[in-house]
Amino acid sequence: MLLNFDRLGWWKLVLIGITLLTTAFLLLPILFIAALSFGSSQWLIFPPPAWTLRWYQELLEDPRWLDSAWTSFRIAIIVTVLSVLLGLVTSFGLNRGRFLFREALKALFLTPMILPVVVLAVALYAFFLQIGLNGTLTGFVISHLVLALPFSILSITNALEGFDKSIEDAAVLCGASPFEAKIRVTLPAISHGVFSAAIFSFLTSWDEVVVAIFMASPTLQTLPVKVWSTLRQDLTPVVAAASTLLILLTVLLMVLVAIVRKGLKS
Amino acid sequence: MVSQTETGSGRPYSPAQVRRLTDFDLTLPALGLLILFFVLPVAMLLTRSVTEPVPGLGNYAELLGSSTYLRIFANTFIVSGLVTLVSLLIGFPVAWALAIMPNRAASIVFAILLLSMWTNLLARTYAWMVLLQRTGVINKMLLGMGLIDTPLPLVNNLTGVTIGMTYIMLPFIILPLYGVIRKIDPAILQAAALCGANRWQSLVRVLLPLAMPGMAAGALMVFVMSLGYFVTPALLGGTSNMMLAELIAQFVQSLVNWGMGGAAALVLLVVTLALYAVQLRFFGTNRMGGR
Repeated sequence: MLLNFDRLGWWKLVLIGITLLTTAFLLLPILFIAALSFGSSQWLIFPPPAWTLRWYQELLEDPRWLDSAWTSFRIAIIVTVLSVLLGLVTSFGLNRGRFLFREALKALFLTPMILPVVVLAVALYAFFLQIGLNGTLTGFVISHLVLALPFSILSITNALEGFDKSIEDAAVLCGASPFEAKIRVTLPAISHGVFSAAIFSFLTSWDEVVVAIFMASPTLQTLPVKVWSTLRQDLTPVVAAASTLLILLTVLLMVLVAIVRKGLKS
Repeated sequence: MVSQTETGSGRPYSPAQVRRLTDFDLTLPALGLLILFFVLPVAMLLTRSVTEPVPGLGNYAELLGSSTYLRIFANTFIVSGLVTLVSLLIGFPVAWALAIMPNRAASIVFAILLLSMWTNLLARTYAWMVLLQRTGVINKMLLGMGLIDTPLPLVNNLTGVTIGMTYIMLPFIILPLYGVIRKIDPAILQAAALCGANRWQSLVRVLLPLAMPGMAAGALMVFVMSLGYFVTPALLGGTSNMMLAELIAQFVQSLVNWGMGGAAALVLLVVTLALYAVQLRFFGTNRMGGR
């Protein structure tokens, strides 16, 4: 009985062993970086000889780190708003429309998600050099929007597919305008999809490295670009401090998602 | 009133009345964005591969005729294949265990999978750069246990890339495989046992074949994602085992050779799309993986 946990015999121990090792493999590097960020060793010796907050201090006192984090944040927020709005409009069209090539259009909208990012990065870099958008906030926003939009469309169309349109029609029958019905009836019903669209869009932009490496200029760079260019030089513990803050943000977002999901269920 | 809701077809256009927005119109802003900033730039890049520096297929002849570049292609396939194989070997037992574990234990493993997936890629790669370096924890542990006398070169080579990429790809294989195994009816395995199959026979002749579509789809997905990876190979790999994405970046950034960059990008695109076509053909429109 291979699919019954209690009747696997000693195989059960093997499976549990492999799962434990894999879980440790996935978790330990993350904990390790968090621990090292408080270690005093410049050379990242583990276990650290002493504990310190020095790397956080260096991180937070360096305007280049702060500037890049602020740039990343601004870009990610603008991308999130645009991606959700555009995703909503597009998803309504795709979900409700009965036009020719609908499936092909849907596939086209999802392509940026599956193509190698480096190809898009190089292509946009060349294009933006020609039209003067390279190294600008607009350039960053456009390129991240192209990458984030598929996730937004995917989340919202999924939510729309699970929504019974006759409820919206009922609201219209009761006197609401079609637009009002969409805003006041459909939107609340698909809010979980809109929420995932926002989270995914934010993370796509905030964590994006490859396109950003090409878009960045000496005066405008995002946090991942700053981490990247620092890592190309040396493995300074300041990066461990930055990474730990990024991991903390991930945990916060995961908790937020869990809370919202729970709230939506009840 | 119902006629006021959008039916998608729209009324025939007549100049006298204002044309109502159809559903297709709603997709136009996103379509415009994609054509202007995705389709057009990629097409322009690919065009440069046959026009620069001189019109013709010279760039492709150079790319496919030089042993340096062929080694990079081979290396890209070797790394991706190795990562896929290792992910599959580890991922299958884990997905299997997850599918039958008590819920509470499984949800802890899931939380760790998600945490790892959502953690910034550079942070994860940095962790492995530190762990695997000559004076890193892993070498120290091996030295301390007396297993080795001198530190092993674990980073800036194939070992480093494989470990770092497997770390990133594991969730992408475990999650879809879990879904497939979860859907298998335990009664089938029970029937196998009743018919006298021992555990090995049940595994090899029942469970593995039933999980095969998920394994193949997940493996293909990981393989394709690995082919185009840039950041992790660039940081954990060495100069002697460069991958295709790094080559493209190098052509464009350091050598400013758009013709060769475009040609290499086309090779990567063609291979990626061909493998996706295989995926669609054999596994339907199954979307795998996460973000």
